[in-house]
Amino acid sequence: MNDTAITPRSVRFRQAREREWKELEKIVTIALNRGLKALDEEQLQQLPRLYRDVLSSVSVARSTAMDRNMVDYLESLASRAYLAMYGARKLRRHALFHFAMVDFPRRVRAMRLEAAIALVLFLVGCAVSFLLVRSDVGWFYSFIPADLAAGRDPAAATHTLRESLYGTGDGWLGTFSSFLFTHNARIGMLAFALGFAAGVPTALLLFVNGLNLGAFFALFADRGLAIPLLGWLLPHGIPEIAAVILCGMAGLHIGRAVLVPGPRPIRDALRDSGKEAAVVVGGAIVLFAYAALIEGVFRQTVHSEVLRFSMAVFNAVWLVTWLTLSGRFSQRRDR
Amino acid sequence: MNRPHAIELVGPEGVPLRFELASLIERGFAFSFDLFFIGVATVLLLIPALLAGSIVEDAVGVVFLLGLFVVRSFYFFGFETLWRGATPGKRILDLRVVSRDGGRLGVDAIFARNLMRDVELFLPMVVWLAPATLVGASPPWLWLPALAWVFVLSALPFLTRERERMGDMVGGSRVVRVPGRSLMSDKGKVDGSESSIRFSPTQLEVYGEHELETLARLLRTIDQHEVAHDDVLSVADTIARRIEYVGREPVNDPVTFLRTFYVQQRAALEKKLLFGRRKADKHDVAG
Repeated sequence: MNDTAITPRSVRFRQAREREWKELEKIVTIALNRGLKALDEEQLQQLPRLYRDVLSSVSVARSTAMDRNMVDYLESLASRAYLAMYGARKLRRHALFHFAMVDFPRRVRAMRLEAAIALVLFLVGCAVSFLLVRSDVGWFYSFIPADLAAGRDPAAATHTLRESLYGTGDGWLGTFSSFLFTHNARIGMLAFALGFAAGVPTALLLFVNGLNLGAFFALFADRGLAIPLLGWLLPHGIPEIAAVILCGMAGLHIGRAVLVPGPRPIRDALRDSGKEAAVVVGGAIVLFAYAALIEGVFRQTVHSEVLRFSMAVFNAVWLVTWLTLSGRFSQRRDR
Repeated sequence: MNRPHAIELVGPEGVPLRFELASLIERGFAFSFDLFFIGVATVLLLIPALLAGSIVEDAVGVVFLLGLFVVRSFYFFGFETLWRGATPGKRILDLRVVSRDGGRLGVDAIFARNLMRDVELFLPMVVWLAPATLVGASPPWLWLPALAWVFVLSALPFLTRERERMGDMVGGSRVVRVPGRSLMSDKGKVDGSESSIRFSPTQLEVYGEHELETLARLLRTIDQHEVAHDDVLSVADTIARRIEYVGREPVNDPVTFLRTFYVQQRAALEKKLLFGRRKADKHDVAG
């Protein structure tokens, strides 16, 4: 009997390639379970070639083989090999530095319209509550819930208010800093995530934050404590408010994609802007940590007005320089 | 709505790859596992926190609060970045996150999809458990739409075509299932143990791909000695009748008869396939 005449073509096809498939399967299993690092030099070199081969195998098998088990096996092998080849991109230290000094400031500048809107919303909130509280102190209670005020309300004596600006925090500075950081960072992340609802919740969040600040400022200014309050607030407030504005900006950026997607389908716009904005939130979280460190430790231990204002100026200068100038002159590099 | 079970990603090589979409039940289980691991990690955090606390009192809070923040906010992000799109829970269920455009899944995409997780999952939980903390004393015309909105958001994976949650939309990602499959023995191999029967072209016109697959599965089970002789006999008999085969082979040695028929049937169907004709089953006249 003439065997080759009867033998199905796919049998010969499989016989010629099976050894390579098994080899790839072994490599892919290691790569998916333990990472590319677990592969030896030779396997690492073989992976791309075997992957390309299995891609052509799967195309051929789909259109010529009548063996479901083999086709399913190849589909599975090819998709797992794809994951091994093109899984998630790794963070590298060099890339991190490049991100901080070039990509991040550029992203922020690319969203300057959203940044301006976020800043305006925040400042209008400040102005509204400031003016209302100055005209009638009773408004204070509408803007500041009792737990946030913690006794710093219009009923408090001026010296109590003054003391609250020079507190020492009872020695639990580290815990206090950590609490501030995690609390603020989560609010910042929320401001981003809520942005997809056309940016409305994000805008509200920014406005309410502004209201809080304006009301406190009006109260302290009323008692002649405006300058000490600024000394208390600005050293950490500048990076912290910057981070709030950045997160708000990121949220508004997604909101903008939903409202004005431009020529793209709304899904594509949402996806592109979501990725762009998420990166900004990542940077803002670092700023929140820095701000909380100043708020929890520096502010509680340093009571000199001169030092406090120097810190504020220092923060303002590097932040503005970084966000407006960094990466502006370096070569454009594709991501 | 017609919801596909699989999606095709076109990788950088331009070859479309088929990925099975993870079902919502699988994703739910994976997420439950992950929540459990987060819970365990939170409890384990107490050990370094208390250790640090025995040196500096203040450090208990620092270590615990920061640890809690990292675990809660970066568990999913960290694992999906380091483990090629899988968290421990996803790995148990063979799930992976992939980028819908077929390219590499970027760190930005992973970060975006996990930032949304908070709003999608924890916000509705807060609404269920303590609505007052979220909506406060606002009037119904304000909180009713807010509530509806929160629930529509959480229901998105049930409504969208490719079971995307909001985070998948923002990150351009999908969750797929990639189980490893094993390559079984090839029943089409000619090893000399076949009988010398040569089926005529007309006899090989009857069956299609579906019957061929069923026969392949039967032959593999026979290899494992899990089929009663009578059952094999009745299958061989049914086929012999259907293709009008005349001879004693189906009765004398049904296994060899079936193996021989399988090889020739597959060769015939594959020859047809070369000319672009795929006969799906015995009812398919197009082939």
